[in-house]
Amino acid sequence: MIELWHLVSANTRKEFIELKRYFPNTISMILTFYFIFLAMLLGINVIGDPQQADTNIQYVIVNYVIWFFMLMTLQGLGFTILIEAQRGTLEQLFMSPKGMWRILLARITANFFLNGTIVIFLLILSMFTANQWLYFRVDLVLPIFFITAIGMVGIGFMLAGLAIIVKQIQSFLQILQFILMGLTFVPLSVAPYLIFAPFVKGVDMIRQVMIHGYTWGDFTMIDYSALVLNSIFYVAIGLYIYMKSENVAMEKGLLSQY
Amino acid sequence: METIIEVKELHKKYKKRKTKEIVKAVDGVSFEVYRGEILGLLGPNGAGKTTTIKSICGLLKPNGGSVHINGYDSDKQRLKALNYISAVLEGNRNLYWRLTARENLEYFAGNRGVGRKEVKQKVEDLLILFNLKEKENELVSSLSRGMQQKLAIAVALLADTEVILLDEPTLGLDVETSYEVRELLKRIVKEQGKTIIISTHDMPVVQELCERTVIINNGKVVADEKVENLIKLFESRAYCFTVSDELTQQQITAIKSHFPIYEISDQQIEITIERENDLYIMMDILKSEQTNIEKIDRTSVDFEQVFMKLIKEGQENDRALASS
Ligand SMILES: Nc1ncnc2c1ncn2[C@@H]1O[C@H](COP(=O)(O)OP(=O)(O)OP(=O)(O)O)[C@@H](O)[C@H]1O
Ligand SMILES: [Mg+2]
Repeated sequence: MIELWHLVSANTRKEFIELKRYFPNTISMILTFYFIFLAMLLGINVIGDPQQADTNIQYVIVNYVIWFFMLMTLQGLGFTILIEAQRGTLEQLFMSPKGMWRILLARITANFFLNGTIVIFLLILSMFTANQWLYFRVDLVLPIFFITAIGMVGIGFMLAGLAIIVKQIQSFLQILQFILMGLTFVPLSVAPYLIFAPFVKGVDMIRQVMIHGYTWGDFTMIDYSALVLNSIFYVAIGLYIYMKSENVAMEKGLLSQY
Repeated sequence: METIIEVKELHKKYKKRKTKEIVKAVDGVSFEVYRGEILGLLGPNGAGKTTTIKSICGLLKPNGGSVHINGYDSDKQRLKALNYISAVLEGNRNLYWRLTARENLEYFAGNRGVGRKEVKQKVEDLLILFNLKEKENELVSSLSRGMQQKLAIAVALLADTEVILLDEPTLGLDVETSYEVRELLKRIVKEQGKTIIISTHDMPVVQELCERTVIINNGKVVADEKVENLIKLFESRAYCFTVSDELTQQQITAIKSHFPIYEISDQQIEITIERENDLYIMMDILKSEQTNIEKIDRTSVDFEQVFMKLIKEGQENDRALASS
């Protein structure tokens, strides 16, 4: 347990150092977020009836934040593999007795933590600047989002597995973000079978909370079970595919740059 | 002597990506590594050294045979086996170039589940031992090749495993740094009782550091002996004939066909014999044209010559096998 903590803290430190060293990158990310949030918040005042716009804008902002985390989770692991392979450090990572999958998990946890802090700080900052405060059921949105994120991590592992074997998936990872963006915007009431798709159920529940003001009691046991099972299913299958891919890579000698 | 690593009938094939041609990189390699020794893994380019090392490290799955580390199968019990080994792999990409020397040490320790505080003292000691203390806060990308290599070895040491594998640790280093690395490794073995496997082309490394050497060529082991024994063995087999006449073409052809390892220059013929009888064969060849033998000497050989001879001999044997 303590070892896992060291694993996570070492990877958080590393990611933090890289955020600092790539300062221009980090700054542009921060500015982008800040201005997008600000534009959305100020938009509330401009677009007609503030009463109505309020919930919508809240939802758009939350959706945007979710989409950002989703992108980070889904692409993050794949890109980690690609970058490490490019730098040639992938094999050293694979020599950790903790296992590469735990290192990847530590990386994603680190990124959630670091980027989460930045984004939440920026959101508060832009609310402060715009003097437009949003109302969140944090106690509800956060746990739902967390469970949804577990399923996303599963998909992230699948893509990481793919990246170990096929090194030319950069553009695929990029295209993927639009498909996923689509998924987050389709309400389940329109396409009920999407309940089996990764993380759609979670996003839908967040939407219910944000727009229709659902509380804990408004969801049924079926909703909660679907949410949890969906995540468990995708994280299990994701890890399984990732492990299989590791085996293929070691079989074919794909970990090195050869 | 206690065995810590056992490589048994290891086979590894690759499929070339473009030509789809199958390469037998390692073809039935077996050897053992004993606790506390430095073993040299030698062989010409493409012999299969790196493939062997990566199989030991669990980075490659064998197509046949097995590797056991402290009893754990490096393929089927990969993570358990990895507790006992760390490695500096071929080339200079064992480190994060955008992190500093110290950050690299700490990061890799963390990846093995060890905290910064726990390794604090050891990081200090290693930075001093490897003469990197002044550079601890510099980015690895700005360090010289030699410093990078030393740091990579320090990272492997920090893992505090019983076995350390080094793939060509002195490749691309200047004479001075290569010497420094050698001295450091010597010290580490003496003071910390590590087991080290070094793959190298660098003969001084073998002669100075390695007690025993496994020589591989074309994916097969051609020798597994103590370095001094190999030299002795070859010295007992190496003869130099000094003759007063020039040899005829027929004689030269006869020598070539009998002795896989030979060298003819002016009036000296150096051969390595395999059996007592070979000496008489050689004399017969010379007598056949009434060549006058001035003297017959034992020759002294250095390890580099031994190595070259072994490789040649192996290739001759292969050829003989193939043609028979
Ligand atoms: N990933 C790979 N894919 C295809 N062929 C490979 C791969 N790795 C090694 N080979 C081939 O396998 C053979 C053995 O290579 P290996 O790298 O093990 O040799 P080596 O003894 O380490 O050589 P060197 O002294 O050049 O480092 C070579 O013919 C090489 O071309
Ligand atoms: Mg090699």
